[in-house]
Amino acid sequence: MSTTDLAPTPRARFEIAPQLGLAIIVGLLVVVFAWKQPGFVSSFNLFGMGRSLAVDVTVGFSQMAVLATGGMNLAVGSIGVCSVMFAGYLMQDLGLPVPLAFLLAVMLGGLLGWLNGFTIVRSGVNAFIVTLASANLYSGAMLILTKAQPINVLPPIVSSIGSYEILGYASPALVVALVIGLALYVFYRYSVPGKETLMAGANARAASMSGIAVSRSIILAHVLSGVLAGVAGLMVVARVGAAMPAVGGEDWLLPSFLAPVLGGTALAGGFVSVVGTFLGAMLVTVIRSGLLFVNISNFWLQLFLGLFLLAAVLAQRYRGLFRMRLT
Amino acid sequence: MRLSIVNVSKTFPSVKALDDVSMEFAPGEVHALMGENGAGKSTLLKIVTGLYRPDAGLLKLDGELVEFFSPRDALAAGIGAVHQERNLVPRFSVGENILLEHPPGRRGFIDYGAIYDRARVLLELLDPGIDVRAEVATLSVAQMQIVEIAKALSLNARVLLLDEPTASITDHEAEALFKVIARLKAEGVAIVFVSHKLDEVLTISDRVTVLRDGRVMASGEAIAEMSRRRLVSLMIGREERIADVAGGAKQGKVALELREIATSYGHSGINLRLHEAEILGLYGLVGAGRSELARSIIGDGRITGGAICVGDRPARIRNPNEALRRHRIGYVSEDRKGEGLVLSHSIVSNIAVTIWRRIATRLWLIPPVVERNAVTPQVQRLAIKSFSLDQTVDTLSGGNQQKVSLAKWLAAKTDILLIDEPTVGIDIKTKVELHELIAQIARDGAAVLLISSDMAEMITLADRILVMHNFAVVGEFVNDRIYENGSEAIMSAIHAAEKDRKHLHDRAAIA
Repeated sequence: MSTTDLAPTPRARFEIAPQLGLAIIVGLLVVVFAWKQPGFVSSFNLFGMGRSLAVDVTVGFSQMAVLATGGMNLAVGSIGVCSVMFAGYLMQDLGLPVPLAFLLAVMLGGLLGWLNGFTIVRSGVNAFIVTLASANLYSGAMLILTKAQPINVLPPIVSSIGSYEILGYASPALVVALVIGLALYVFYRYSVPGKETLMAGANARAASMSGIAVSRSIILAHVLSGVLAGVAGLMVVARVGAAMPAVGGEDWLLPSFLAPVLGGTALAGGFVSVVGTFLGAMLVTVIRSGLLFVNISNFWLQLFLGLFLLAAVLAQRYRGLFRMRLT
Repeated sequence: MRLSIVNVSKTFPSVKALDDVSMEFAPGEVHALMGENGAGKSTLLKIVTGLYRPDAGLLKLDGELVEFFSPRDALAAGIGAVHQERNLVPRFSVGENILLEHPPGRRGFIDYGAIYDRARVLLELLDPGIDVRAEVATLSVAQMQIVEIAKALSLNARVLLLDEPTASITDHEAEALFKVIARLKAEGVAIVFVSHKLDEVLTISDRVTVLRDGRVMASGEAIAEMSRRRLVSLMIGREERIADVAGGAKQGKVALELREIATSYGHSGINLRLHEAEILGLYGLVGAGRSELARSIIGDGRITGGAICVGDRPARIRNPNEALRRHRIGYVSEDRKGEGLVLSHSIVSNIAVTIWRRIATRLWLIPPVVERNAVTPQVQRLAIKSFSLDQTVDTLSGGNQQKVSLAKWLAAKTDILLIDEPTVGIDIKTKVELHELIAQIARDGAAVLLISSDMAEMITLADRILVMHNFAVVGEFVNDRIYENGSEAIMSAIHAAEKDRKHLHDRAAIA
């Protein structure tokens, strides 16, 4: 028996590597953009970037929660926009106080996520198809109910939250995203349901035979995903000061995968990286804002992001193969 | 074709897997490759099949230097392998699988006529009973193995590696396989045979090479000059030891009782009584329905009739979660890679998973120190070899993996433990350790239901033996731990059941 923890396992090294590489890339990009356009690091732009970073991070976490189980959630954007419009309705039409409206909107996100999870577990159909269907179902229902009209008359406090500047350049949304990140880190690393979810994601059969209620883990992951999508939607509401039916939807799809996958979260399930997801989202935000600064058309953005996702997936596959050869 | 391995070495980050290893496999000979788990057999096979590259040394085919950069190179050179894991496409037909690598075509389309003709020719030699058009998923494990051999032969394999080919097939099927091996040998194929079953090796091989800790202990010695004792001492570095499991522990109250149980798997009228501090053996051939019964008990299959009592109370167990938490029953699966372990997770997680809920604080958080402290005694008790508890389980040898899959139930301290084929593919030394451990678990008061196809194991360990055949219990006797008596009782129970069944069948045919 020799269980002294001296040498790091080959595995452990590769778990750190992608995050470190990502941090370096993000750092380099910031330096390059700031050198080309000093305005890039102005407190005004930092504030703007922080605000959109908060959304990207939260959207990434929302996807990560389901990736952990080896599934995926194509309805992140749809759930987000449903929460957005619901919050707007509660505040404008019902005149509910802002905190209550926000809370209920987030709960709606959780409910829609629960519906996804429940359907997947009950039907045995894979998450891809179920969430593809529900994504259209949710946003279709939202468009019918709201007639695609934005809800503009919100209490002024909403937009003042959105434009509030902590220490001159940090947005409250970013603080929320950081707190969520911390909570998720603890959840996956130290909590019973978090650890069980990862185990169910890595090998559902073995997890179930070890006494884990796998179905419950999957449903929980979707509820968590829905709640986070709702929170991301509300961040946008605060930013624009209105509930717009054009928020979320397919615009969130690519970034939602990019952040976790770039950060090293396994598509096959069973392993997540909270820090990596944060860094992945940073990369997305920095590129989006940076390209704007150096006057490169938005069309390029899409192309770049697609390219990054592909590269990240290939890198993951390569690491997997490499590890297989090693053992 | 003669395959020579010359001074091959291979080092992994934590271990020297092969240390200057040389051996030679000659045409028309069955060459047994033996060694304990972790001795380097798998690594050697992977080098020979082109999956790994050696750090030093070389491979020669008929004296010519060869270098393999991928499994394809090895195949092209005429080295075929049948691995422990099946590598067939279940939904494809037998013929399609055999010719998967190089399907005969006509004008860019697959020529199915030619596929089935060629596949039939290949199977003619091995087992004409297999239908070339049948879906592979419908075959038995033994038949799949034959299909894999045919597949290797379709690529003109002149060296055939068989990795534990008899691990999951019945004795009867193994006999058939040995006939196939004899035929291939007569055709001049060089056959490399990896097995843990000593008797098998002594019967069918011509030569034997023994590896221990990555070094060659005996290279290509004639089997005629090798005794069982010498073989064992070469493998483990000392004399064989039989597990010390004196029976006679005081049996306690009834821990688990099945009354007239029927299941969705097809069991009917199963009666069984398992006592505290007892090892009840459930013997039967592969396919007798033993694992399925164990699964049904823990709620992984549906009970359709009869009653289960845990302790003295009737129980309805709907899933393994309830089995563990409400009824304190654990099941050590025979399929350790698929069901017993989460290979990509750490040793700690794999063991602690059953007790996470118990050791968590009120906020449902698990302090890492607490988790480690809960796991360490089990790791020590089972002598699990690892350099860190955070090591992922897939980096462990088969024997250590099996120990981990047992350790999680020791940690859970269940009152009832269903142990399914605990030593398949496990080396002799670890096997003895596991036997002693299982005996100890029972002595400590747990009720153990032991499922095994290894008769010697069963007779060493069990206090009582139930014989199962065709999803029914066909015999029960108290085991006096004398091999001749036990095996006699088991075989006569199975034969009687066979006869009964035939009788019924004949009657049904007349009616």
